[in-house]
Order: sequence, then C-alpha cells, then structure tokens
Amino acid sequence: MKLQEKKLHLKNIMKSFGGRKVVDIKELAIGIDGIEGLIGPNGAGKTTLINLITHKLRMDHGQVFYYSNGKEIDISKKSFDEIARLGMVRTNQVIQDFQSLTIKDSLLLSLATPRYERFYSIFSEKKLRKSAEQEIEKYLDYFHFENPDGHALSAGEKKLLDIIRCLLLKPKVLLMDEPTSGLPQNQTDLVIALMRKKTREEGMSILIVEHNLDLIWGVSENVYFMAEGEILIEGPPDEVRKNKTVVKKYMGEGDA
Amino acid sequence: MGQILSGYYIYMFSLLLVFIALATILHLQFGVTGIANFGLSIFWGFGMYAFALLVLKLNIPFVLAVILATVLTGIIALVLGRFILNLDSQSVLVATLAFLVIIEVLITQEKWLTNGVMGIGPIPFPFDFGVYTKFVYFLIILLFTVALMLYAGKLHSAPYGRLLLSIQDNEPLAQSLGKPTFRQKIIFFTFTCALAGFFGAMAAPVYNFLFPKYLGAEVTFTLWIALILGSRKRLFGGLVGVLVTVGLFDVLLETVVPIPEQNAVILYNAKYFLYGLTLVLVLMFRPSGILGDKKRSINIRNTSKLEKKEG
Repeated sequence: MKLQEKKLHLKNIMKSFGGRKVVDIKELAIGIDGIEGLIGPNGAGKTTLINLITHKLRMDHGQVFYYSNGKEIDISKKSFDEIARLGMVRTNQVIQDFQSLTIKDSLLLSLATPRYERFYSIFSEKKLRKSAEQEIEKYLDYFHFENPDGHALSAGEKKLLDIIRCLLLKPKVLLMDEPTSGLPQNQTDLVIALMRKKTREEGMSILIVEHNLDLIWGVSENVYFMAEGEILIEGPPDEVRKNKTVVKKYMGEGDA
Repeated sequence: MGQILSGYYIYMFSLLLVFIALATILHLQFGVTGIANFGLSIFWGFGMYAFALLVLKLNIPFVLAVILATVLTGIIALVLGRFILNLDSQSVLVATLAFLVIIEVLITQEKWLTNGVMGIGPIPFPFDFGVYTKFVYFLIILLFTVALMLYAGKLHSAPYGRLLLSIQDNEPLAQSLGKPTFRQKIIFFTFTCALAGFFGAMAAPVYNFLFPKYLGAEVTFTLWIALILGSRKRLFGGLVGVLVTVGLFDVLLETVVPIPEQNAVILYNAKYFLYGLTLVLVLMFRPSGILGDKKRSINIRNTSKLEKKEG
C-alpha cells in the first residue's frame, strides 16, 4: 500500500498522562478506501489515539495531516468540531446520547447544516424535515427502532443511533471505537454489512477498534496492532494473526 | 378609568411584563442552552442605564437610544461570553454573578455619571397622549413581550432549538457531529443578553427614576426563583413563575392586603420569605416546576404535533 493513498498521516504523535506515555507514534499512515482494524490489549492507547486524531484530546506534540480532494490539511491545530466538518467523524466507545432529543430529533440534528442553525432562522423546520425525510427513513427502515418518535431506550438503540448520526454526516473517514460492543448479533451483522456497502460505494475509510477479533479478521483489509502506545505491527489480517508478537502480547499462545 | 390607566396598576403591569420577558430570556439561556447566567439582571440594568444616560446626557432620540443601548449590551455580553462560555456551568454561574457585582458597584460608585444611589431621572416617555401615555406604552411593551414569547415558542421546534438542546445535553457529542458549540453559545448568549438590554431600555421610562438596586443580585435571584418555580424547560415556565412570585407577592399583596403604614417594612421582608417558602414547597411536590411533569422529565420538544400537521 503506497503512503499517498492513505487519508491520514501521523507524525511524532505523543501523549502522556502524568508522566506515563500513553501514545507514542513516530510515523503512521491510515485510511485506505476500505475497512481497517486496530487491535491491541487493554490500555494500549487505542481510544486515546482516536481521541488525539479527532482532537478531542490535545496531544503533547505531533502533527496530523489529512488528505481530502487532493489537498493536504494540517489538522493538528484544528478544533474538534472543525475536524468533524472536514469529514472525519468518530463513534463513541462509551454510550453517548442527547437525553432531551428523540431518535428522529437526534438524526435531524445530525443532518442540519449550518444554514439551518442560525438563531434567526426559526421557520426552517419544515424545510429541513422535508429534505431529510428520505435519508432518515432509509436508516430507520434498515435498523429497526421500537419507536422512532420516542427516546432511544436500550443501550443497543443508543449505540446504533450513535453510528447512524455519524453516517448521516457522510464522512470520508470514520473512526469507530468498539462499534458492536453491546449489540446483539443480528444488529452487528447489519452494521457490518452497512460498513462494507459504504466503503465500496462511497469510498469511505473506516477504522474499527475492536476486541471481537473474529470480526476484525473477517472484515478488515488491513490491521494495526498496538501495544504500550506504539503501533508494533501492520499488515493484512492473515499476517498479523500469525505474528509472534501479536500472539504473545495479545491473544495468548493457546489461541493461535 | 383614566386614573387606572395612568396610575399604579399600569406601572405594575408594565413591570410585570418586563419581568416575564426576562424570565423567558433566562429560560432560553438556562432551560434550553444550559448557560447558568446569574448575571441576567445586570445586562437588563446595563441596557436601562445606557439608555437613560444616552437620553439624559446626550439628548439622543428615544428609538435610537433604545437601539444603541441594545447594541452596547450585546457587545458587553459578547466580550464576557468570549471569556466564560467555554467553562463548565458552575464556573459560568460564579463568573456571571461576579460580573453582576462588579457592574453594580461601578454604577453605585461612579456618581459623576450615574448619580449613585440617588438615582438618575426623570426619564420621559417617548410620546404624550395625556392620561393614556402610560397605557399606550404598556401596550408597546406587551407587543414586544408577546413577540419574544412567539420567538421562543418557535425556537423550540426549530433546528436551532435542537442544536441548543444538544449543547445542553452533551456538548462534546454535539461537537463530534461538527457543531461549533462554543461559537453558537457566544452568538446566542450575546443575542439574548442584548434582548435583556432592550427590555431594560424599554423599562426605563416606566421606572422614571433609576436606582442601582433595580439591577442587583436580588433581581436575578427573583428571576431564577420564578423560572425554577414555573419550570425551566417549559416555554411558559417564566411567565407562570413571574406571576406566582412578583405577581402574587409584589402586586397582589401590596395592593390588596390592607397593611398599616408602620408595618410596611415587614411586607418587604416577608416577600423574600414567601418566595423561599413557595420555592421549597414547589420543589418538594413538583421537582421540575409547576408546569413540569410530576416526575423529573427531560423532554420539552413536542414532536407529535409537528408530525400530525404534516400527515
């Protein structure tokens, strides 16, 4: 895989909490047109890495370059919301929700562009609903929700809602932090099928952080193994799977 | 008839309307967006004093003075908001309260400008219809208060209202969806504080003479009590709350209950006691306010109504 074809380049990324280095990456390129996996033991710094890339956390030093439409953008100084507007979006590991918004409201919020969100445009609701209806219905049909006009009740519904909100933004890069934890198997299958479709049809790049290794081996074209804050191994799933370090540090000798 | 239209009642009702407007502004800031503005009355008071000084010292015509006072209040809010709105809500509360005290002291101390506790005035009405002057002015305030309520109501079911709610609920999540939450908070804070300044300017002729006590922390506390009484999440929470506090205890008690003059001070003190008592009772039996649900509820958007209209 040539470096130029990846959408994200990370250089000398460092983050430490209280003297302990959590993430320390010299150079890394991620973001092929397809699904990639990021694995590693607990505390390896996977979630922190995602937080650093999307700038939810400030890195101690380092640079992140983002390639979009043939342009190179240095996003290390951009704010969290600016990065999302540039087309790099993340789903959350811990369940996140807007407690006063219903499922439909939540999706409409995601679809509303800045044009709708001005303090004086108070008559634009109908227009927004009209333009958003089809797209929202598509997702609501695909994933079954108990009551789309009510609040997301179960953890699974909230998790799905989180994913749909991100997809509605039509991101170019989607970082998914344990997207299927807490989802029943049939929902997981639906999510995975949708991911595949998105990468194939819309050229989306997806990076999945998961502990469910069967899922990682099954869907990703490229896998990164992270431990103690560093990316130790990168390669196709079959290679990473057999790698001695990965086996020793993560899977345990017996599972190989 | 003329006596009622020009007398104490119309004065009290005009002020009541202004307080309803302020409580509604607080509902927008705190109930919808989650900005704990404990300095609301200072923005109101700033608009009031700015308007009075523009009219009295610089002889600027009424409408222009109102506009200038509104804009000046907005600028003050913009500068303050830029520094405090990215803090958490407890810090915003303390910062706005501190700001209130600073401005209140300034207005009290800078006697060359504001005449201190002696007050400034008299502030004339912009027109003269004889005995009907105060009544016509009351109608104008009514018009603006209704307009504000309509705006707030419309905002509840607009995309912008949804954005503000999302900021209150989970700001990082809203940011992760690409919403510039800090900027939106500054914009909305500036706009609503400027509105408070506008109502301050409008209230100045009603008061006729302005004193620093009109804009102090007591006023903010009254507004907060009113909003929480009525329900901070509901559009009419501010209105109901103001009617129950200011309306019931200031207007009704003072006008209806015959109290001998030597005991009048007791009433003034009893008022705050009664505010507190009402607040405790309401919070005990209806924790989310008089208009709120019996249980703590979080939903203020009524989507079912919109669905029906479309269907």
